[in-house]
Amino acid sequence: MELDFSFLLEYSGVLWRGLLTTLQFVGLAVVLGLIWGFILSMGRTSKNLFIYWISTLYVEFFRGTPVLVQLFWIFFCLPLFLGVDMSGFTSAVIALSLYSGAITSESFRAALKSIEASQFDACTALGLPNGVRTIFVILPQAVLRAVPNLLSNVVSLFKESALVSAVGMADLMYVGQNIANNVARPIEILSAVAIIYFCIGFPLTRAVSMVEGRLLKVVKA
Amino acid sequence: MNYEFNWFYVKKALPQLMDGLMVTLQLTLWANIIGLVLGFIVAIGMLSKIRMIVWPLTAYIEFFRCTPALIQLVWFFFCVPILFNVWWSAEFMGMLALGLNLAAFNAEAYRAAIQAIPHAHTDASTALGLNVLQRIIYVILPQALILALPVLITNGIGIFQQSALVALISVQDLMYEGRYIATQTFRPIETLTTVALIYFAVSFPVSQAVTLVERRTKRLLAS
Repeated sequence: MELDFSFLLEYSGVLWRGLLTTLQFVGLAVVLGLIWGFILSMGRTSKNLFIYWISTLYVEFFRGTPVLVQLFWIFFCLPLFLGVDMSGFTSAVIALSLYSGAITSESFRAALKSIEASQFDACTALGLPNGVRTIFVILPQAVLRAVPNLLSNVVSLFKESALVSAVGMADLMYVGQNIANNVARPIEILSAVAIIYFCIGFPLTRAVSMVEGRLLKVVKA
Repeated sequence: MNYEFNWFYVKKALPQLMDGLMVTLQLTLWANIIGLVLGFIVAIGMLSKIRMIVWPLTAYIEFFRCTPALIQLVWFFFCVPILFNVWWSAEFMGMLALGLNLAAFNAEAYRAAIQAIPHAHTDASTALGLNVLQRIIYVILPQALILALPVLITNGIGIFQQSALVALISVQDLMYEGRYIATQTFRPIETLTTVALIYFAVSFPVSQAVTLVERRTKRLLAS
């Protein structure tokens, strides 16, 4: 078995486009997931039992089933269910964002829970109204504490995004598999794809632990 | 929203889905066995002061943690047979890839747990005249296992969910059967919803148990 990596250069353009598609999926899912996750975390801390249970069920369901199943469900079933046409791209983004929202809401919730009761008491003692308390006291602390978790969610979304290849989206994974099938050289091309993923995933993971270390110092200080 | 549900085909295909679930559970079980054992061995190796041991292990952990499980699986499926001239079944490849993936994550969990063991325990082992192996098995392992248990179980369910990926390399697990039935019967909504519910029914109780275990271990450690 002779390895020959030189032919990869020919495909560098395609791989690059695949990577861009992957990043596009991740970016959209992260942004939409942040918004959706914040709303969900409000629901999960709500005193209204109905809202609480609905959002809890949602989060547990999306965290308790494989992303692949969610993706297929949204891809095949949602258009049928709603009776509308939906491009593969749209349904893949929806699926990733719904999942992203579920894991993001957990990070927000944990951060909100970690804020001591004394902070609330202090706000009452200072006579701050509810809105001011939420925006100026609770939110900044919650966001600060949620940052490491949110970042590690970005890493897992980046990894999960490879699944969209299963519904025919031309992301890095899909492009790689396609080339591998065409040129019958799976080792070189799949290894290259794995290395590309690693080149992005590794610095991201490192960044997460760095930010975590920094924040721990800030929070403690 | 004028979809007419028809559960007939799913009901008829339920035994097939259950067969798929058995494959999924078997994969999960074996991957967890590999992950728990290999993960601990890797974590112990990471404690070593010899660079030739630490670097390859670090590379292994980081590589499996920083790339998608799907590429690992596909890589194993296509490349291992060519590279090593072996012909193993897709199930076996899937199990191997999932197991190695889990071992990398578990190694990190063990490592964090081992670091939490007070250094006095090492000194005590030396004072008692235990050799390295005895220390690892009787002193480090039990404590690391208890401390890391919540994370280990969480990782274990994670692998249960990730195992759905093997459907893409033609292993006939729950996901594969579900997709097959969905296309055969033209009933994707009923079938895929059932599949999702089956996955949920297995992983939800386990994830709830984690919370319980976490509380218990905290109490155990506090006492």
